[in-house]
Amino acid sequence: MRISWKSVLAGVALAAAATVSMPAQAQDATACGTDKKIDIAEMTWPSAAALAHIHAIILDKGYGCNVEVVAGDTVPTSASMLARGTPAVAPELWTSSITRQWNEGLDDGSVVELGDAITDGTIEGWFIPRYTQEANPELKTVQDVIAHPELFPDPEEPDQGRFYSCPPGWTCELAGTALFEALDMDATWNLFSPGSGGALAASISRAFEREEPILFYYWGPTALLGKYDAAQLDLGEVKPDVYACNTDPECEDPPGVTAYPSSPAIVGAASWVKDEAPNVAEYFGKVGLSNAEISKLLVYGDENNADAEATALNFLKTEKDTWTKWVPADVAEKVEASLG
Amino acid sequence: MFPEIIDTNPLRNAIDDGLNWVVRNWGDGFTAAAKPLLDFLNLVQHLLLATPWWLIFVILAGIAWLATRRWQLPVVVVVALLFLGVMDLWEDAMVTTALMITATLTTIVIGLPLGIIMARWARVRHVLTPILDLMQTLPSFVYLIPAVMIFGPGKIPALLATIVYAAPPLVRLTDLGIRQVDPAVMEASRAFGTNPTQRLFGVQIPLAFPTILAGINQTTMMALAMVVIASMIGAGGLGYQVLQGIGRLEVSRGLFAGLGIVALAIIFDRITQAYGRRLQGRIGIAEAR
Repeated sequence: MRISWKSVLAGVALAAAATVSMPAQAQDATACGTDKKIDIAEMTWPSAAALAHIHAIILDKGYGCNVEVVAGDTVPTSASMLARGTPAVAPELWTSSITRQWNEGLDDGSVVELGDAITDGTIEGWFIPRYTQEANPELKTVQDVIAHPELFPDPEEPDQGRFYSCPPGWTCELAGTALFEALDMDATWNLFSPGSGGALAASISRAFEREEPILFYYWGPTALLGKYDAAQLDLGEVKPDVYACNTDPECEDPPGVTAYPSSPAIVGAASWVKDEAPNVAEYFGKVGLSNAEISKLLVYGDENNADAEATALNFLKTEKDTWTKWVPADVAEKVEASLG
Repeated sequence: MFPEIIDTNPLRNAIDDGLNWVVRNWGDGFTAAAKPLLDFLNLVQHLLLATPWWLIFVILAGIAWLATRRWQLPVVVVVALLFLGVMDLWEDAMVTTALMITATLTTIVIGLPLGIIMARWARVRHVLTPILDLMQTLPSFVYLIPAVMIFGPGKIPALLATIVYAAPPLVRLTDLGIRQVDPAVMEASRAFGTNPTQRLFGVQIPLAFPTILAGINQTTMMALAMVVIASMIGAGGLGYQVLQGIGRLEVSRGLFAGLGIVALAIIFDRITQAYGRRLQGRIGIAEAR
């Protein structure tokens, strides 16, 4: 292809215009502030995927940023963000499984925490279905349930109970295994690892559809806990030291019993976002949602078979009161106009 | 964008609700139907785990020697088994082997007759070929998650997934092997007044056997390739170690378990291939091909 001088000139003129207008834009509270592509990580679980699309629409339509949603997952996304500054933003990052690397990144200034993704903390724990608890009202704490393995038989070994733990490699797998040991469940229970998040959700869904008893680990906010009525079992108080040791494969101390600490889900970003696009950074400081709000968002997606983008659009259309508080008025107007 | 002709949501809702209905009402029936398969798998697994490690060394090395009558293959087998033992992967390797053996045997029971039927009737072949393509290309999680909901997580859906993925090569190669039997040989056997059944069992299957054995070899390899996916729905074994390694960024754990899968693959691949070559030699078609 031949290069036409006209287009080169036009390009130079445009670039010059852009340079001249830069300071003016930076002062404007509604401008994106950077031409760099802001890539937002869409994690594999539904709440983070929907959040990624919500933020992408607002940044694109409201602030006029160059936005792209990219696929990601906790470990690869954070590793890439720490090493190369891309993806630029992870709208729901659970730092508990990557504590060490993340804190090092915060210290050396390669990443920043722009705000909380979930304002009232996250839920994590052991659950049984509500109907099982109603049929057996004495099942209140984890210890009560452990005393009755016969209520939760393992199909592959019916004289033992089965506890559905976490997929391999997740921090909760270590925590679940340690609790299993600390609670002395080995003689009467089998620790069952479902192998993947999808298989765990399918197993739980199967039990609820068939109204069977099941003892399982799960976390919130998730569509699954929004859809099925599960009772969380009392694991006693949170002992941060014990939990830290339970989830550290190097720790030599015997595992102890502790509840799950509410792990922080934050908006993580590469530090260049804060430096080059302060408006965007400020925006992410305000976008926290509560567990209830996220569950509501997810139940819509689940019931209507909506994908993450459709869920995000529905949120923007129906929850104006929530998201218009995150942005200046004229940005909100621009986003609303784009929704049609 | 493509214009929206119909609203697909009702269809998708119907499929999801239909699956939930099946889980609620037929779950027990399906689980009971798959029970014999599970019992067989558990039997194989118990047998492998109860056998002392040195006996497994002796048996596999012996089979390797019988297949080749040379010392090289038994040495390879012993080294591969030593790797599994030394790397503390023995138990996981036996669980994986049990799954692979059960899946392969089930595949042979289903796949051989299917392949023969396909070779016999072209119409069946026209129907089955796209289904076999589908079985090999449909991403396994698409049917695995419904299978987990129907059968519960664990070995049954893992076995199903492995069979679905590993059966096509055996079916295809059985079909191909039988159809490739030399027409002159068929003509000659007909001239001797054989009936179709005699021709099938006396001429076609024996002559197609090396090709069928290649199919069994492929099935074994594909069953081993599925172990990581099988572990993602609760089957345990070597794949589980791989998943743990990936999830925790412990490259070494993933690498050793992955090499363990390779070690198993080498053992079973070389042994079945050696038997295939011996058979070809015996039939006298080794040079002809």
